[in-house]
Amino acid sequence: MILTFAAIKRQIKFRLDSWLSRRIPAAKSVTLSHKSIFILPTGFGFAWICLFIILFLFGTNYQNNLVMGLSFLLLSMFNTCIIYSYQNLAGLTLSSTQSSTHSFAGQPSYIPILLSSKSSAFEIQLNFNGQPLEIANKVVAQSLPSRLTVLQPLRGLLRPGRLKVESRYPLGLCRAWSHVDLDIKQVIFAKPISGQDTLAYNLGARDDQLQSGKFIAGIDEFKGLKQYVKGESLKQVAWKQWAQGRGMLTKEFQQPQGAPMWLTFDLTASNPELSLSKLAWQTEQLTNKQQIFGLKMGSNTIAPAKGEQHRIKVQTQLALFPKKYPAYRDD
Amino acid sequence: MWLLITNIAILSPLYQQVTVWSLAICTICIIWRVGIYLGKVAKPPKWLVTTLAFASAMTLAMVANKIGVLTALINLLILGYALKYIEMRNRRDVQVVVLAGYFLIALTFIQQQSLWSTLQLLVVTFINTCVLISLYHDENNFKHAAKLGAKILLQSVPLAIILFVILPRLPPLWMVPPQGGAKTGLSNTVSFANITELTRSAELAFRATFSDNTLLQNSALYWRAIVMEDYDGTQWLQNPSIITAERGLTNPKSSNTAGLQRFAPVSNNVLNSAKALSYSVIAQPSSQHWLFGLDRATSQDHGINMLADFRLYASKPIDQQRLYNVTSYPNQPLEPSLSPALRAVNLSLPNNSNPRTTRLAMQFAAQYPKETDRLDAMMRYFTQQPYYYTLRPPAVGKQQIDNFLLDNKAGFCVHYASAFAFMARASGIPARLVSGYQGGEYNSAAGYYSVYQYMAHAWVEVWLPARGWVRFDPTAMIAPERIEAGFDAFFDPQESYLADSPFGYMSYRTSEMFNQLRMQFASVDYFWSVWVLGFNTDKQQRVLEEVLGEVTRIKLAMFIIVSLGVIGLSIAYSAGLIQFHRSKDRHLNAYYAVCKLLRKRNLPRDYNEGPLDYNQRVAAAFPSIAKDFDKLTRYYIAIKYQNIGNKPQKKLSRLLIKQSRWLKIIIIKQRLALNKTNT
Repeated sequence: MILTFAAIKRQIKFRLDSWLSRRIPAAKSVTLSHKSIFILPTGFGFAWICLFIILFLFGTNYQNNLVMGLSFLLLSMFNTCIIYSYQNLAGLTLSSTQSSTHSFAGQPSYIPILLSSKSSAFEIQLNFNGQPLEIANKVVAQSLPSRLTVLQPLRGLLRPGRLKVESRYPLGLCRAWSHVDLDIKQVIFAKPISGQDTLAYNLGARDDQLQSGKFIAGIDEFKGLKQYVKGESLKQVAWKQWAQGRGMLTKEFQQPQGAPMWLTFDLTASNPELSLSKLAWQTEQLTNKQQIFGLKMGSNTIAPAKGEQHRIKVQTQLALFPKKYPAYRDD
Repeated sequence: MWLLITNIAILSPLYQQVTVWSLAICTICIIWRVGIYLGKVAKPPKWLVTTLAFASAMTLAMVANKIGVLTALINLLILGYALKYIEMRNRRDVQVVVLAGYFLIALTFIQQQSLWSTLQLLVVTFINTCVLISLYHDENNFKHAAKLGAKILLQSVPLAIILFVILPRLPPLWMVPPQGGAKTGLSNTVSFANITELTRSAELAFRATFSDNTLLQNSALYWRAIVMEDYDGTQWLQNPSIITAERGLTNPKSSNTAGLQRFAPVSNNVLNSAKALSYSVIAQPSSQHWLFGLDRATSQDHGINMLADFRLYASKPIDQQRLYNVTSYPNQPLEPSLSPALRAVNLSLPNNSNPRTTRLAMQFAAQYPKETDRLDAMMRYFTQQPYYYTLRPPAVGKQQIDNFLLDNKAGFCVHYASAFAFMARASGIPARLVSGYQGGEYNSAAGYYSVYQYMAHAWVEVWLPARGWVRFDPTAMIAPERIEAGFDAFFDPQESYLADSPFGYMSYRTSEMFNQLRMQFASVDYFWSVWVLGFNTDKQQRVLEEVLGEVTRIKLAMFIIVSLGVIGLSIAYSAGLIQFHRSKDRHLNAYYAVCKLLRKRNLPRDYNEGPLDYNQRVAAAFPSIAKDFDKLTRYYIAIKYQNIGNKPQKKLSRLLIKQSRWLKIIIIKQRLALNKTNT
């Protein structure tokens, strides 16, 4: 009995979802209109209607036209509010942007959204199903960045699904809402767990392992530009960039030290999630130490390199490894 | 912030209903709230609020019998409101407070219905709404919330009005507790003391509108309210048989028919031929049952009864303004045949009372055997002797009529009426005292009579064979101006009804301009009473017929749908949802609109013609608008082509649009004038 009930529920949800995806198809940017806005009274709205009925009876029983008038005014205000709550959401544009930060499984992940509205919109509540609310008090024509939270995501490609946009403006009598699919995809890195065992070295130079694959500051190779700090040699200043109006920058040089390291993932590992977590931890560690490292995952290899770009590349590779088991969580 | 205002605004109009201690609790709550708002006081602990709420509910339940159920209910609501107000924590609490606020406003409407207090309460409603808006809006943006609140409210008014007009009026669905207001106006006993109190009151008693704009002499306006047939030596009282009949009407269960039975007059077919006066009366709330009518008054309205003494009597006390329709038959005799029992009632006098007056009456009886002659002689007696009319008569002793009639010779209507009725009875003619109002102030703008409390009056009805009860007003002999020209002509208002309120606005009565203004206000108030407070099924039918012709269900439905559609669209438009296609540049539009009008007057602007060149041509062709058009052109150029700051830009923009409007009006006017001269 319970099973069939659940089945019916699932069926309804499926139908609803497919109807929604036909009505409000996924897009990077969605502008709400009559097609995508739903309005129903809130609990307070029903209380309001009850008050109207009570006042109407009250006015009828006392044959008091003014009380009746007040009750009609309340009813009429309810009607006005429906239009206003529609107007509040109509013309609201939501668009997804690429996230600049990446987060790890188990940590809250923040998804950036841009909000704008042709006419001002107030008190917009945004959230993904079951996730914390984000409230934008006022949205105007200028894009307003907003950050939505997804608590405890799993490793891999996060698809938070439909975003619920809701507003009870202006009187809280009606709830106008929409479910928009902004086609959001975000890579959630594996949860880092400390451990050394997956580290492997290309050359068995065990004596200088800590130094291997690491650059030290030097003069041979151009590393990049950094902000000029008062007192640094003026010879190092990147005058060309300064002339371009990019401010005072200092050229940094470095030299490689030792051979690069390889992180390897054993495809036959008994607990691949744990291995992935350890690899993620090591990736962070090595990046922090500015070491050069590569990744070997079966046939996929990422050539040794270093820096933020490389870190993301490696972490993404680790994160997108097909899931066989539920993600490792230590809770 | 809004909440602070709303609380005080909602509670203040209800202060009359609130008991002292609920008022005290409310004050404490408000002060506490201000403290919380300023961050000086902590929020009260929950147990304290709960205990207080319980205690006050219990106390109110106990005193409910004493102060009346409705008042108790109001007090309970107010207390709950005030207590909820200090323990407000989240949005939900505020919502509850706001809903309770609306309910309290409705309760206030039950008590107060004047136009003025309605406007006041509308403002309160607005403030209450703003509280809700501030919940969903930037909390600090006071002005914006107010603006939006006003917008929503105003946009809701048309639909509310349509609902008000269209929705059917139902009769009361169940019995409601009476409001138990203080009784005002006449009382059912009349003694030498009590009408003077009324003459000090400038309050409105009722208003009457005659159909076909009948104008009546002041001396014809004797509004009967109470008939008193028993005299006990100090005061005149209603006969118990009438009181029983009245009670039977208010409470149909008590069918106590002991003693003299009196039946209401029913013979309507007899009356049809007679000259009829029909009018409607709007009685002010008095918490009494009796209504006012002229002479032989009949009414077909629901809830109004006709009594055996030809008075109108409401089944329920007049707690709110009440409109009723009356048809009077001034020439119809009242009770042409008097039953012996009733005759005895109207002849009886207490033993050994006023022996000197009795002797005087006997002299009249001996001198004038014919009843009409005798009554005339008695009336004349008041003019022959040095009687004078005063609202501050000297004190009387135990034989009050003797003292007045033969010693003091000074008094007001009750004195004269009592003395006359006493003499008539003593000389063997059935007589009774009638109290009510005499006269009325005619408002020519709205065509109705206002009758104020100070117009309260008492007179005598004497029974004559075949003629029934005939009205005699001995006061008219002493102070004929009082009857013919009205109360104000005879008395200096300062001495009577203004004595208690020297600065009341009635004291400006004497000034012509203020009087005009007062009349204007009175007319507005009158229309308010008739069309809003007195809006009932009849009026509803009439309005709908006026709008729709014959009212059919389909027509009504169509009317509702169309009006709903129009209202919905207009709200949507004003909310900025629907926009008609229009160029975005308002300045360009404003300028072009004028050019378009000029094109119709055969002065089109060329496509490549600059505004300055065009300006010169316009000035040459139409010197009458040259100056104005020059102004418009200058504003336009300044906005379009000159780089000015933001603020002057806004100011100029306003000026430009205003100028454009002004020019349009002038040009259209000129064209209309031109058309006229051509045809």
